[in-house]
Amino acid sequence: MDYSEAIERISRKFKKSGNEINREKVEIKLRRLIEEFGVQPAEAERSVSNELAKEFNIPPASPQGSSGASGATGQKMIADACPGDWVTLEGKVVSLAAPASPAIAPSGIVADESGAIRFVVWTKSNAPKMKEGAWYRIESAVVDEYKNIPNLKVHSGTTITEIDKTDPLIPSPVPVKDLRPGIGSVRAKVIQEWEVTHERMLQSGILGDETGTIKFVIWKELGIEKLVVGSVYSVFYTQVDEFNERLSLNLTGATIMQEEGDLATITNSDAEIRGAIVHIAPGSGIIKRCPVEGCNRALSRQNYCPIHEIQPQFVYDLRIKGWLDDGEKTHNLLLKRDVVEALTGINLDQAKEIAENNPLGMDEVFLQMREKILGRYVACKGRDIENRLLVNSCKRMHFESGDHTKLLNRAGGAS
Amino acid sequence: MSARESEMSRRDGSFEREPARRVFASELRECRYQFKDGEDEKSPTFVLLPTGERSNRIFLVGTLTEKTRQGEQNIFYRGRVVDPTGTFFIMAGSYQPEAMQQMAKIETPAFVAVTGKPNLYQKTDGSNLVSVRVESITVVDKETRDIWLLDTATRTLDRIDALTSGTTPDIIKAKEQYPTLDVVTHRRMVYDALAQIKI
Repeated sequence: MDYSEAIERISRKFKKSGNEINREKVEIKLRRLIEEFGVQPAEAERSVSNELAKEFNIPPASPQGSSGASGATGQKMIADACPGDWVTLEGKVVSLAAPASPAIAPSGIVADESGAIRFVVWTKSNAPKMKEGAWYRIESAVVDEYKNIPNLKVHSGTTITEIDKTDPLIPSPVPVKDLRPGIGSVRAKVIQEWEVTHERMLQSGILGDETGTIKFVIWKELGIEKLVVGSVYSVFYTQVDEFNERLSLNLTGATIMQEEGDLATITNSDAEIRGAIVHIAPGSGIIKRCPVEGCNRALSRQNYCPIHEIQPQFVYDLRIKGWLDDGEKTHNLLLKRDVVEALTGINLDQAKEIAENNPLGMDEVFLQMREKILGRYVACKGRDIENRLLVNSCKRMHFESGDHTKLLNRAGGAS
Repeated sequence: MSARESEMSRRDGSFEREPARRVFASELRECRYQFKDGEDEKSPTFVLLPTGERSNRIFLVGTLTEKTRQGEQNIFYRGRVVDPTGTFFIMAGSYQPEAMQQMAKIETPAFVAVTGKPNLYQKTDGSNLVSVRVESITVVDKETRDIWLLDTATRTLDRIDALTSGTTPDIIKAKEQYPTLDVVTHRRMVYDALAQIKI
């Protein structure tokens, strides 16, 4: 079992308060709890976090201690519920999901006019069975945080009563750039679809509106359908995840409605940038990728994958990372295999041949490709994602005599 | 903490790489003013172009006409790259091993594309020299040189136009540092450079 993600989450949590964790110790603790004591991974993570919080003298996230300060169990709007609060709220159950563990009764999403939050009902709480679409008053529940996402915990001290309310709740979509971890609603267009990297994954890609773009994923579930590239959708109550300070949407379980018409997406989509390639970064050329399904990470020279360790049955691929400079701004480029092949004239088979029959090996491919494209003028089209241009097409520029004439006039004309 | 922050911003890509300015040899040669942006040891150094823009890096394409290997223990290469307006002095030392090896391989004369950092030196006789520390150098074809000429002409004319009406700190500083700058001469230089491309 691999713990690096959990460790990373814990590490980031404590970095916020300026504390550095000892990763080895954390891993030993997690391993011990999970492997030796059969603790659920999420619970082990929580317990290690709490232990560390005590060590660093940080007040714990959920227990009663903080409730006094945050106004006991005053009734709140969902949008105002912060981790650590004891809350009472009224909301509509807009989604119910199958429990991930027998110890947990249903989880789902409860919403009011201000927003929505995921909730989990513990079996021990003896809560009444909740129905999708009904309104409830939830008294004395606890807001905690799991993977940076606020979560409403219904425990034995919580009272749930169905209330007589039938308001049709219409969530208002927020601009993509204003999404926050938790539950959100957007109206966006499917800009791109990516290769599915896992057998349980139905679809992944990019959604965008006029304010930004965001990755999305849909996991296979009964009755769930793929989105159509180029179409606009309203997505209600989708889960907004955060990983490595980047957001993504998990649309599984969200209410998705296809919309009529088109939507202007952010202007940098499919932008063309012209300039000179001023740098080719290490890691360009021919690379080896991890063959484990859904991984696809670039391997080190020793065929080592950061997650799956040594992988002798690697898969070759081509890519180029570099900088394109137009004299005013420098753009970080990432070229995929087909773009690399078209631009350098070296295809994957030829690159393999060079790498396998040359004393410099893979370096030789890097050098040959660098000689062919470094310092050249190119026009690149692609999508700007997190400050990196994912290039769909990259062509050498040519001398335009029309531009030449215009410039002669411009230089000579005004003097 | 600040070191960690800058490292974080580098990792998520918000770190901005300094763009490579396009400048003709005869303008670069006129540079007399160099400054640092910030107090930090690692703050970037800029030369101020006479047409009113700071430059930490330049991209040039021209003919490598000469290269020499110098030094005994600390080997470095010097070279001259010629464009239609004059000569760029380039160098690559042991701190740029990649660039040095690239330079070692190139046979003169050849069209080369160079990315590098301009530096201002005072020679022993008191005169100034602008030399470009090479980050990368590759052999290119004539078409690339011609595209560069158009590109550099465009950027230089843009700067000249901005100079007459602009009020950016760099322009104000340039007017202060280069009081004798003659816009007409620079425009003429651009025209002459363009005229060297045969139609």
